[in-house]
Amino acid sequence: MTNDLKTAYKNSILAAKNLPTLPTTLLEVNSLLENPNVSLAVVAEAINRDQVLAAKILKMINSPIYGFPGRIASVQHALVLLGYNVIRGVIISTSILEDLDRAMRGLWKHSLACSVACTQIARFLDLKDPEEYLAAGLLHDLGKVIVSIQLPAAAKEAQWIAAREEISYSEAESRVLGFTHERVNAWVADQWHLPLPLRESMVHHHRPMSAQHYPEMACVTHLGNFFARLYEVGFGGDDLVPQVSPQAFKLLGLNRRVLESLLDLVGEKLEELNME
Amino acid sequence: MGRLIAEYAGQLPIRAFIVSQDKALFEAVQALWPPDEIAWQPFGEMESALPALFNDPPELVLIDTRASFISEGADCAAGIRAIKGDSAYSSVTIVLCLGKGSDLSAMDELMLEVDDFIFFPDLPDIYKLSFILAFSRSRRSLDVNPLSHLPGNTSIIRYIQGLIDRKVDFALAYADLDHFKAFNDKYGFSRGDEVLHFTARMISGSVRASGASFSFVGHIGGDDFVFVLPTDLMEEATQRMIASFDSIAPSFYDTEDRKRGSILTTDRQGRPQLFPVLSLSIAVIFNRDGCLRHFGEAAERASQLKHLAKKEPGSICKFDRRLCEPEDESPAMPKGGGHAPQA
Repeated sequence: MTNDLKTAYKNSILAAKNLPTLPTTLLEVNSLLENPNVSLAVVAEAINRDQVLAAKILKMINSPIYGFPGRIASVQHALVLLGYNVIRGVIISTSILEDLDRAMRGLWKHSLACSVACTQIARFLDLKDPEEYLAAGLLHDLGKVIVSIQLPAAAKEAQWIAAREEISYSEAESRVLGFTHERVNAWVADQWHLPLPLRESMVHHHRPMSAQHYPEMACVTHLGNFFARLYEVGFGGDDLVPQVSPQAFKLLGLNRRVLESLLDLVGEKLEELNME
Repeated sequence: MGRLIAEYAGQLPIRAFIVSQDKALFEAVQALWPPDEIAWQPFGEMESALPALFNDPPELVLIDTRASFISEGADCAAGIRAIKGDSAYSSVTIVLCLGKGSDLSAMDELMLEVDDFIFFPDLPDIYKLSFILAFSRSRRSLDVNPLSHLPGNTSIIRYIQGLIDRKVDFALAYADLDHFKAFNDKYGFSRGDEVLHFTARMISGSVRASGASFSFVGHIGGDDFVFVLPTDLMEEATQRMIASFDSIAPSFYDTEDRKRGSILTTDRQGRPQLFPVLSLSIAVIFNRDGCLRHFGEAAERASQLKHLAKKEPGSICKFDRRLCEPEDESPAMPKGGGHAPQA
């Protein structure tokens, strides 16, 4: 059995462990946890701004040790069940990403923007458990993060190809790695026993209709990604605005009128994020 | 000297952590058994051992408490409490290493949490014995529910009777799931076990989060749990549990059932029947001013109250507002709808 994913890039491999994160969130969560009376909701809010921390928390609670793998898809629920000791353990074991280039920071911001957009869409459409849509948006590009951290040269090459040939980052990834971040997402979601709805939206956010069981969540993530690109918050690897699948609109019941008010609503939230 | 324990049925090698900065100690324990029986993984300090332990708990942990070989005694104590205080990890066997420079006065409390200790340096055969004893003792683990690792009936009774005997004021809660049978029928036992794992963890977590000076969580069996808290903390804890349960329980259903908010199964006559989603019923009774005299009394009151709780739909917590009976042996008078008990 192998835990690693073999890429086409100079025979290098990816491992689903030791993902570092940005110093800002880690420090914030750390200082929150020093106060024994801090509410879990506040901690969850801070963790929900960082895809690596959120992914690690979800990985932890979905670990077979606890007896219900693949069941918990929101950070809030995970925190209730993990308790402060284990959360501290996860935080301690997360290291800080030292040298940050623009692209890396952009990737974090893009993921945050997508998660904000997904939450807004889910609330707007009155879908159950908006926190799970938040997690789906936050984690949708986790594969890109893993590649950027472990194979920075490959990520740079993909970005460069995407910019030079004006193709999508996914297409550039395929050339460099042999597959896209969606494949990396599938592999990491399996390794970490992440819940199926989360896995499907991570794997199918570019072609949401191929999500077999939870197309709704995949469509919301698809749309969230589109909004984050449209309003140019963060950097997802290329400067193109992706095509939106017309079936996704149909599945979510969005017509032109509804879409316009949704665009305003999400736009407002994303503008706020862009100011930060 | 033989194998670590003869009846050990788990996978070999047995995984063990050693938390120490003393190379000599590490080499000494490594030499005790061949690496295909015990695989030792060294950690310089508690801080790095804890996350690894939470991720993938070993069977055995040896913690060096000697002043020069461990960073901070306080960290060490907090770490041990973090492990033993969490039911998912409490089955990990912990052995302390004492020696010159160990702060024995700080060990008093810790000794209640750990499984054994060794002195270093000493004869290798002595360590070996200590490990074998500690390991098999915690393996036999007296009275724990095999599913949740929470204490079972014997421990529950002993704990509650202890509080009654010492005339401590406490609140005792009995909790169980509504419509759990329907859930099991529809999804099967392994999905049912997932729900029990979740419920056990949620209850323990909420009890721990209440920050009480004393508390207890036990698993009677199946979907029946008990927990004990100081009287003034119980209400908030049960509210938190019900909120957590109601928001997380739907995650255990398939999409259609989750959307519909109910599951479709057949009743005993084979007719289709709709069942609501799982909910949590809790009954709480109080011991005030030593009014309870024995465990049976507590259990009976709680079970009466739980019948009432289960009659109402959805998650609910019922509190026993009755005053204690006077010290005579007359049968408890059920409190009627507001009329005075005397003629």
